[in-house]
Amino acid sequence: MFIDIACSQKKKYNQNAYGDYFASNRFPNMNRVVAVLSDGLGSGIKANILACMTSTMLLKFMENHSDIEQSCEIIMNSLPVCKVRGISYSTFSAIDCFENGKAKIVEEGNPDFIWIRGGEVLKPECQTIQSKDFKNRKMKVYNIKLEKYDRIIFCSDGATQVAMGTKQYPLGLERDGLIKIILHKLEQEPEISSQKLADYLVKQIELIAPNRELKDDTSVVSIYCRDPRESLIFTGPPYHQEKDSYYAKFFMEFKGKKAISGGTTANIISRELNIPVIAKLSMNSGRLPGLSEMKGVDLVTEGILTLTKTLEYLESGKSEENAAKTLMDFLLDSDVIYFLVGAQMNKAHYDPNLPIEIEIRKNIIKQMASVLEEKYLKKVNVQFV
Amino acid sequence: MAKVEVKVCLGTTCFVMGGNNLQELNDIIPQKYGDKVEVMGSNCLGLCSINWEYSKAPYVKVDDEVVTEATVEKVLEVIDKKLG
Repeated sequence: MFIDIACSQKKKYNQNAYGDYFASNRFPNMNRVVAVLSDGLGSGIKANILACMTSTMLLKFMENHSDIEQSCEIIMNSLPVCKVRGISYSTFSAIDCFENGKAKIVEEGNPDFIWIRGGEVLKPECQTIQSKDFKNRKMKVYNIKLEKYDRIIFCSDGATQVAMGTKQYPLGLERDGLIKIILHKLEQEPEISSQKLADYLVKQIELIAPNRELKDDTSVVSIYCRDPRESLIFTGPPYHQEKDSYYAKFFMEFKGKKAISGGTTANIISRELNIPVIAKLSMNSGRLPGLSEMKGVDLVTEGILTLTKTLEYLESGKSEENAAKTLMDFLLDSDVIYFLVGAQMNKAHYDPNLPIEIEIRKNIIKQMASVLEEKYLKKVNVQFV
Repeated sequence: MAKVEVKVCLGTTCFVMGGNNLQELNDIIPQKYGDKVEVMGSNCLGLCSINWEYSKAPYVKVDDEVVTEATVEKVLEVIDKKLG
């Protein structure tokens, strides 16, 4: 089971900073995901600081399995006190979940989370913990067991209180209103990704707001337990030539999506399996070689130049329309990524007369793996052959 | 008469050595020769690693003839010669 988690946010109308803050971390080796959504008191920069502090501190505490009660007391005592209201405040929803379905959810002040299984909303039991130092603060702690295809939705009160005071929604959209929108969307698109669902919900909330002006920061975090989308990228010729045939077959028999990054690699697979590969001259764009086509393979690109550019795009988050962008989209569309990296070197690439420096494939893939893991929370597996 | 086949190597070495400029051939050749010549891209032709010390990328193959340090002009010259 894979935990697909995503957040979508909109600022309060006329504010230049988000007053809600979302932080998450994935531990691929432990099959674990930890995430926190916090809503800071007020709005703008002040709220942003409170929410950011709360989220990042709580995330660290949860990661280290610290006692949640004590952690929350520490956070509340550390937050700066608002001059206007004389209190320090930020609400939060936090989840610590494992791919075996075991999950712990802690909430303070945010709307109750929504747990959906098979089109029904489940009502889990919770334990309430009263804060020792702060009389008005109560935490809810849930220990639940998630199943495949379950969905969890967290939101800030901006989502449930939208349009409050209007004729149609005197008390705002409320949790029930939000549930209706979610269930309707899931009926239409049962397999919608977490990101798309979160984006859709925030968009709908914005549409409900009078004049589409949100009165409060609005965040939706969506969690979807599903089968992981796996992909395999074969790049570089295997070191032992006699194993070409074995790896070509291994590649083609892979069940998920497949990409080849490297002209010679594509040629090897083409030769071993007798599948033609067609390099498209017309698809060259600018400074990168274009894509090729091969039956049974989802994406075929040139190697080093494209990989180098893709790494640059992944690091910066900025991209242009070309083969590297296509490869980046391919990677980001996967949850579990396997790299099969051939260790044979192309001597011609080390000719000092080449106008640009060509990186060593191993290094690029290593860097790419760490960016994908750390920045994009992907599970990455690299095998050198 | 059989078509003349032009294969432009799009391997990494050829590409950085000027192969990216050869994509013009994709427009020029059909205009100039119509159906008589077919132009296509190709993954690494493997020529750069055979003789790497004397690397003369980018390479283009016109039927079986290898054009080294290929430019648009050089390739057109070879095609003209082939077509007589």
